[in-house]
Amino acid sequence: MTIRRLPEGTVNRIAAGEVVERPASVVKELVENAIDAGATRIDISMAGAGRDLIVVADDGVGMTRDELVLAIERHATSKLPDDDLVRIEHLGFRGEALPSIGSVSRMTLSSRARGSDAAWQLQVEGGRVSGPQPASLPGGTRIEVRDLFFATPARLKFLKTDRSEAASIAEIVKRLAMANPLVGFTLREGEREVFAYLSSSGADASRDRLAAVMGRDFADNSVAVAVERDGVRLAGFAGLPTMNRGNAQAQYLFVNRRPVRDRLFTGAIRGAYQDLMSRHRHPVVALFLDLPPDAVDVNVHPAKAEVRFRDEQLVRGLIVSAVRRALAEAGHRASSTVAAEASAAFRTGSQGAFYGPAGRANGSSGLAEAAAAFQHQAPPGAQTGQHDPDGFAPASRTTEATTGSAQHYPLGAAVGQLHETYIVAQTEDGLIVVDQHAAHERLVYERMKKALLSGVARQGMLIPEVVEMDEGAVGRVLARAEELAELGLVVEPFGGGAVIVREQPALLGEVDLKGLVRDLADDLAEFDDATTLTERLNDVCSTMACHGSVRAGRRMTADEMNALLREMEATPNSGQCNHGRPTYIELQLPDIERLFGRR
Amino acid sequence: MKITIERATLLSALGHVQNVVERRNTIPILSNVLLVANGSDLSLTATDLDLTIIETVGADVSQGGATTTAAHTLHDIVRKLPDGAQIELTLSDQSRLAVVAGRSSFALPCLPKEDFPVLAEDTLPHSFSIAADELKRLIDKSRFAISTEETRYYLNGIYLHAAEAAGVPMLRAVATDGHRLAQVDCPLPDGAASMPGVIVPRKAVIEVRRLLDQVDGSVQVSLSETKIRFAFGKSVLTTKLIDGTFPDYQRVIPSGNDKILEVDRRQFAEAVDRVSTISTEKSRSIKLTLEKDKLHLSANSPDSGSADEELVVNYPGEDIEVGFNSRYLLDIASQINGDSARLDLADAVSPTILRDVADERALYVLMPMRV
Repeated sequence: MTIRRLPEGTVNRIAAGEVVERPASVVKELVENAIDAGATRIDISMAGAGRDLIVVADDGVGMTRDELVLAIERHATSKLPDDDLVRIEHLGFRGEALPSIGSVSRMTLSSRARGSDAAWQLQVEGGRVSGPQPASLPGGTRIEVRDLFFATPARLKFLKTDRSEAASIAEIVKRLAMANPLVGFTLREGEREVFAYLSSSGADASRDRLAAVMGRDFADNSVAVAVERDGVRLAGFAGLPTMNRGNAQAQYLFVNRRPVRDRLFTGAIRGAYQDLMSRHRHPVVALFLDLPPDAVDVNVHPAKAEVRFRDEQLVRGLIVSAVRRALAEAGHRASSTVAAEASAAFRTGSQGAFYGPAGRANGSSGLAEAAAAFQHQAPPGAQTGQHDPDGFAPASRTTEATTGSAQHYPLGAAVGQLHETYIVAQTEDGLIVVDQHAAHERLVYERMKKALLSGVARQGMLIPEVVEMDEGAVGRVLARAEELAELGLVVEPFGGGAVIVREQPALLGEVDLKGLVRDLADDLAEFDDATTLTERLNDVCSTMACHGSVRAGRRMTADEMNALLREMEATPNSGQCNHGRPTYIELQLPDIERLFGRR
Repeated sequence: MKITIERATLLSALGHVQNVVERRNTIPILSNVLLVANGSDLSLTATDLDLTIIETVGADVSQGGATTTAAHTLHDIVRKLPDGAQIELTLSDQSRLAVVAGRSSFALPCLPKEDFPVLAEDTLPHSFSIAADELKRLIDKSRFAISTEETRYYLNGIYLHAAEAAGVPMLRAVATDGHRLAQVDCPLPDGAASMPGVIVPRKAVIEVRRLLDQVDGSVQVSLSETKIRFAFGKSVLTTKLIDGTFPDYQRVIPSGNDKILEVDRRQFAEAVDRVSTISTEKSRSIKLTLEKDKLHLSANSPDSGSADEELVVNYPGEDIEVGFNSRYLLDIASQINGDSARLDLADAVSPTILRDVADERALYVLMPMRV
């Protein structure tokens, strides 16, 4: 067998294997080209989930006849003006997309360069080029891809169902749309419009686009993140912990406006939300990281889904601290989705529970019970003092005097206690129901955590524990030795394949150090973050907090309740318990009015 | 089988053996006690497969025989019977044991004695006799330091071995949980010189200590590399040993600690206890600041405030500051019976030796804590 150079067509198909994996990758490449071409609106249509037809049309700068011919050559691009792979400022740069797509489909490119009066068109079929011919096009570029993968039938067999291929096309376009609020996007499937995002400008452009893509809920229930450190800028929005999901799909990171999936990011987000929600829930975030092109290497993945940062620690630290700070500033806010669920429960309560047990089954959530309890109460929105004291703690009567002055606080003035478990407070424009145990537990926990920050006590090991691991794990753990020492765990190298634990966090008492260190090594590999240790420490705090806090079933005086509300306002993250459940719900007056059909 | 036995006799024997029986068992017969009537004796046996206790008591045996029945149930019944009652145990057929006392009668399900696990009879080549008081002391002063962390299984017991202190042969008990260590000596009994070093598991230590309350005089100890047996006259406890290597504890006992503090033991313990009220619930750290003839104890907590106490002590050395877990300090202080305690310190990160000034045969090593 002799070594030979592969023909151009085969080379392109091999390249296509990396770049063009499924219809969504075609859409990604073409839309990125359109964005790089300075388009202000991009129209995408597809048929047969992109298998039969993909059309991407933009109003960008367009190409001249000669450029058009060159564009379908491999490694031909306009995006690396000075051949510098370190400073990459465009989404594309490899010059692979068009020839790769052309080699596995029937592609028609039409383009009219800005300022030119003629449009040109070119056909590529399975890598064979014909044209260019004159064409008619008002401006910009239009690329039509038919019969994708007809030249590589094997690939067709690996495609998923139409539904999931179409969904991933929509997902790709959404991601690109989130990162480019100034560009309008429409996606059509056949005749049906899947979505259309208008191009917007102005200060709120980014927020408006995120709201359009991720839904109004996200816009209402997220806090803005904006920091800059050492030339790295992080902006975007972090969802409140009470708005969480079962998977990490709704976590978006854009590096220099390029959507990426990165384990560093996943780990940093996990770290930032660490004790705000259960390990099995995932927050919703959209963050834009802008850093000098030479601080990040995007050329590590053919589809550019991963990136490498020159200073990973800086990026991670920035994300964790910025998100934590933003969430802490949000303080006691719980998401309004919770209140929406609550008022939904109220509604089922008034329709069903009134007439019989069927309503309970209907309402299903525990809030139906609260609703039932409310039926005994005065009409919501009425002034205090008229309600039937039955079911309210007697404290309600004593609060009347203080109600007026305390009402302007965000969490309002306590008007009473329900079932010795929930505090009801009246605010200027609504009603708050607080779970007294969850709220107090969080307050005690936050206080303990603060104490923990001032220094973790370390118990020296009389008989140091030797932990044997593979060398990679040893390296990972030792590389973070300083950080671990701050958390109370002092490790030193011990031969090639082991570390020795010299001191341990006193808080943990007698503990399985081997297991702890090995878990840490796994954590570092998976998330690049020593979350296990902080979690273990926080677990101890949270157990102590649980025992040290006011239980459900304890009667509280008005002063106690108001003090709790005031402390919640002053404490970061008091809007949810350690597992991401809300500590209180808020019903706005309009919500209440809607319940009574007044609106 | 048919026997009559005095309630108090049966109760005390059951009391000794039933602790071995775990409350929950996957093998049903392990919940049972083996009863064997023979001659004028009733012997009771309980086991958890690692540890076996056999106790023999006098009984009026009208018909010999053997069976097994639920240990905790039998114990509860006997406990609730009136004082002074005569209890009649009758095995009518093989599946029911009748327990009759006065007007009360019970029928307990039985399992055949053949199914009861028997620990393999090994030869125990090493054997010696030790005064019950000495054995009590070895256990009492060291067992607080036994580790409960199961991953360090080789620390889950007391390391018993022959050693030498100042040229005198000793029998030594050592226990450590990795943070602190207790080392207690007694004169080496005859026949113990050649014994291997063995780790006696915590559960056995607790049971041996319980049985020691019943005896004065001496205890016969025999052991091999894998088993140890304590014979207390009418009861015999046999246990498997922990199969592991006890760490080289002598390496962690410092020899160069030159800052010697002598303090009234009671004053010290009380001061530590008082000051530690303030230290945080879990870490319990307390700071010892030493200057010439003065010991200053302090604790700080963001929640509970601060505490300070000063003791007049005998300390000629230079100023030093070191932190400890107050609970560890109290544990050790409570092992010291004499009037004054001695602390040999080096610095804030090295182990400190604590001991009873009046007792050269016990010493404790404690690692400091840092904040």
